[in-house]
Amino acid sequence: MKIATYLPAKVYSNLDMEKDFPEWTATKIEEKVGIRQRHIASENETALDLGYEAAKSVLQTFDKDAVDFLLLCTQSPDYFLPTSACVLQEKLGLRKNIGAFDFNLGCSGFIYGLAIAKGFIKTGIASNILLITSETYSKHMHPEDRANRSIFGDGAAATIIEKEDADKILEFEIGTDGSGMNNLIVTNGAMRHPYDEQKTGVIDDGGNFFCANNLYMNGPEIFNFTIQSIPRVVQNVLLKNNLTMDQVDYFIFHQANKFMLEYLRKKIKIPQEKFYNNILETGNTVSATIPIALKDSVEKGLIHPGNKIMLVGFGVGYSWGATIFQY
Amino acid sequence: MYTQDFIDKLKEALEFEEVEITESTNLKQIEGYDSMSVMTIIAFVDENFSKKLTAQQLASITTVKSLKDLIGLDSFSD
Repeated sequence: MKIATYLPAKVYSNLDMEKDFPEWTATKIEEKVGIRQRHIASENETALDLGYEAAKSVLQTFDKDAVDFLLLCTQSPDYFLPTSACVLQEKLGLRKNIGAFDFNLGCSGFIYGLAIAKGFIKTGIASNILLITSETYSKHMHPEDRANRSIFGDGAAATIIEKEDADKILEFEIGTDGSGMNNLIVTNGAMRHPYDEQKTGVIDDGGNFFCANNLYMNGPEIFNFTIQSIPRVVQNVLLKNNLTMDQVDYFIFHQANKFMLEYLRKKIKIPQEKFYNNILETGNTVSATIPIALKDSVEKGLIHPGNKIMLVGFGVGYSWGATIFQY
Repeated sequence: MYTQDFIDKLKEALEFEEVEITESTNLKQIEGYDSMSVMTIIAFVDENFSKKLTAQQLASITTVKSLKDLIGLDSFSD
């Protein structure tokens, strides 16, 4: 599995936040959510562009003519139609006799991408899959929504899953609970609710501005969902792979925020040294956090060939997925 | 758990060590109480009482006493 990542050039730091929201201090933001800065796409830069850059980079190490399927995960596409993956097939100069489509998921997206890739490889539909996970939640956020702006950053990852990788992606535990749909949502602008030209908004108890045209996240409820469901997901993926906690060498969860991850780690009883928790320079990049963390773990020597790594994604939907990747 | 232990632990979790907190203190009026505090309380109650509090329930709390009521007085020894 080869991974390349791309982060937009523009940076929004805690010091910038302090200027925009004087009631907050830079050190306090870093302490609470574990983020010092986030990369933010510029006005004319989209998730498709970030994905293009990440893909170009990974294709420097892999023959683009060998790619026979393109999967792209985003919740901020360029168009309602066509799908960004089709646009990128042309832009990247990939073969025409290959499949390409987008799928709309957030923080669980990378795990679903691995599941689709494994399925396609195992059934002989494809053998070298380019999986792009690219997100620009900044486009959905209201400028005065300080809570979400402190957490989310834009970013992309491009992952090549080759035929032999399919044997290293072990069993999956996957799930969905649509009852949580309203807790992480962009309500307006698609077919159900039109974009509100008046941009009517309210300020909630926490001092956040909220308009239904923008991203809404009920942080406490997302936290509840995560701490109630993820410990069980971890147990189930261990069972499906016939493994015990001790036999897993490293754990990479979706990098939501430091506080949530640290609480989950303690609750599940994962030793600190086996648990990745770092979004200091990137923020929560949604479907890109797991591949960014995986690449960083390889580069820092935190994982070694043969290691069993548990990957867990969870969030908007609610949607979740976990698997074991044998590095 | 005894109420005083509860208050001490809660102060530590919320990083409100320097604030005078009693059962009648309105948590929401403490400077620095924000959406992260709500998550901290959810984590605190999950960890110490194995109980789930919803965002809606937490929106309704005011004093430490009201939080105790929400957790359930049978969880307290005094």
